[in-house]
Amino acid sequence: MTNVHEEATAQAEGTVQEQAAVQQEAAVQEEAATTTFAEDGPASPAAAGSARPAPARADWGWPRWAWRQLTSMRTALVLLFLLALGAIPGSLLPQEGQDPAGVQNYFASHPGLAPWLNHLGLFNTFAAPWFAAIYLLLFASLIGCVVPRTFRLAGAARTPPPRAPRNLGRLPHSASYSVALPPGEAVAIAAGMFGGKRFRLRRPAAGDTAHWLSAEKGYLREAGNLLFHLALLGVLASIAAGGLFGYKANKLLVEGSSFSDTVSALDVFHPGRLVTGSDLAPFSMTLQSFSASYYTTGESSGQPSSFDAKGVYSASPGGATKPFDLRINDPLNVDSTKVYLIGHGYAPQFTVTDASGTVVYDEATPFVPANTSNFLSDGVVKVPDAAPTQLGFIGVFTPTAFAANGVLQSAFPAADDPAVSLLAYEGNLGLNSGVPQSVYQLDTSAMSLVTQQPFLLRPGQSYTLPDGRGKITFAGYRQWVSLAVTYDPGQIPALVCGILALAGLLLSFLVRRRRVFVRATPAGAGSVVTVGGLARTDASGGFEDEFAELVAQLRAAHPAPEHADEAVLADAARPEPGMSPDTTLDKTETGA
Amino acid sequence: MPLRPLRLASKRKAVVSLAAVAAVLLAGGLWAGLRGGGTPSGQSYVDGNPDAVIYAAGHRAALPEFSGTTLAGARLTSATYRGQVLVLNFWGSWCSPCRSEGPTLAALSTRYQHAGVSFLGVDTQDTPTNAEAFEQGFGIKYPSLNDPGNSVAQVIGGAVPVSATPTTLVIDRTDHVAGAIFGTATYSVLNDMLSKVAA
Repeated sequence: MTNVHEEATAQAEGTVQEQAAVQQEAAVQEEAATTTFAEDGPASPAAAGSARPAPARADWGWPRWAWRQLTSMRTALVLLFLLALGAIPGSLLPQEGQDPAGVQNYFASHPGLAPWLNHLGLFNTFAAPWFAAIYLLLFASLIGCVVPRTFRLAGAARTPPPRAPRNLGRLPHSASYSVALPPGEAVAIAAGMFGGKRFRLRRPAAGDTAHWLSAEKGYLREAGNLLFHLALLGVLASIAAGGLFGYKANKLLVEGSSFSDTVSALDVFHPGRLVTGSDLAPFSMTLQSFSASYYTTGESSGQPSSFDAKGVYSASPGGATKPFDLRINDPLNVDSTKVYLIGHGYAPQFTVTDASGTVVYDEATPFVPANTSNFLSDGVVKVPDAAPTQLGFIGVFTPTAFAANGVLQSAFPAADDPAVSLLAYEGNLGLNSGVPQSVYQLDTSAMSLVTQQPFLLRPGQSYTLPDGRGKITFAGYRQWVSLAVTYDPGQIPALVCGILALAGLLLSFLVRRRRVFVRATPAGAGSVVTVGGLARTDASGGFEDEFAELVAQLRAAHPAPEHADEAVLADAARPEPGMSPDTTLDKTETGA
Repeated sequence: MPLRPLRLASKRKAVVSLAAVAAVLLAGGLWAGLRGGGTPSGQSYVDGNPDAVIYAAGHRAALPEFSGTTLAGARLTSATYRGQVLVLNFWGSWCSPCRSEGPTLAALSTRYQHAGVSFLGVDTQDTPTNAEAFEQGFGIKYPSLNDPGNSVAQVIGGAVPVSATPTTLVIDRTDHVAGAIFGTATYSVLNDMLSKVAA
């Protein structure tokens, strides 16, 4: 039983189960001392090439060897692992796409290391050439695996089952009994039964005097396996499509204002490799109102209970407007582009009058929440056109103000009692230099304080700056929402392919390829029917029971002989005597 | 995958093959990484660095029709400028590069006033009060459309990418986009462009 041990070793080494089963068959073939399996799939030239690389290597040399290594399952698994490994820096290091400021900070704090990491593309991992290399090799590996298998499956689907081995008793499962029919009729009844069960059948060629039948079933297993591989390719292709043709963008929108989906309007824009500005869905939207509700009692007091952003949108410039109602996880879908509500905040409305009495600033200025449990928010007001010198204010907005030890604090996220506290500066904002700067930060390096202490304003109140520099009015507030605009053409295909991959995997696990052989030899007035069964791949088990069931059905379809001792005689002829006829229907190879 | 049980030789071969794959990956990654020198992400934002393009005749996109309300409250359509050389400048008072190119636009609009060149601003993501203070401060006399929601940029973006603020487009007498400056327009670049298109 060396072969069986070899097979067990091969299985333990993680070799493809299928081929282990092929070998199992080869072992049976040797034992059966017949060559009837010769025309079976694995012996065909293509399959022989993949099973025995050594001779082919001599013919084709390195390229063929390299291709075979690339398309081996081991390499595919290693590549899959590398893909996962390669994604790690993308989550550990700040990425240019998502967090450009983080990248700059990293460069500042690690001046020696950062340039090297940058050379390796670790700040833009998913666009790095080495990441693409892994990805493309995995792609090639999968294609190289799937394409030959498709041909092999197509070939197998056309190939009839092998001839029945001579000695069915040596198959892993076998049974034998006597019937009162001549061999030809007995086999014909068996053919009718297996045909009805949608087995693929093979009968002796014309002129063959033996009576036998080969039946095979379970091609869906390999089909499921292929489906899994194809769907995996589909998932990769979908993700690639999303990366190439999709985009992500962020936009902050204040109540009462509009925005058009165009590159210059977006605060942050991450286009896919093949996306140009004119590919953006040309919609526009106006935010009319935003409301957030909060729990006011109990432990979760201050926690949000609902968000609701209402307004109108138009799918194309000048097109008809329709209302929208955005909530968390309930995006607006315009021509497959989705707009998600991802955040909100307050934008206090300020008016600034300069020394000459001209109103030089009038804007609802978005402040960034520093603390989302009470929405204490920070922001700055830049007045670059104030005369004679530019003015700047650093402020804190509190929706529900209260003084804690002389420091302004917020008690609740809702705007029940809003107030702002401001510090005034004058000097050079640095805004005329042409170097872009954050709208949420005031560069005070060239400015000086106008007021030594912060001053507090409630809605409608003004503060007059000392020495006739002008005044600032806190007119009220509006709310803003932060929107994520995403277009990912690969999302739905990826989901569908994921489901198909799972279905394929289930098929290949649950369906087994199995063969049943029937031989009938004349014995007295009737004949002896021998049934042999072989599961090529029986990872989930259960063929034993199926075989027993099939034999029982077949036996019921065959009229039993009149004398019971004939049956006993037939059973006694089987290689494993000593078992009662009822329990010897099925014999399982236990040597492995 | 070979069927036979793994022997020492095939194990060694597998290790060699994996090492080869890893080496190819590493070498390819290093080569591309060093060669690319860390290419920036696909974003086409040109901050302060003028990226000036002049389109050859025959490669000029037709200017889409647009309309809007000026900061002063007057209705204005692109038809007003038909047959003229037009400088279309997308700006905002909040935008630092726009503030640095303000003097250039003020000076060139005066210089080309009598050469059949009109200037039109498109004030984006701004408020009229802030914008008027800007125009006052820089002495800009030509009108600007009040376009807080970037709708004009969206319409024109179908023909020429208005990928950043500021963007300056030079429209020829046949209403085609002859030149574009993505980012800050400097005096010499815009003057050069205008002298060619308005000649």
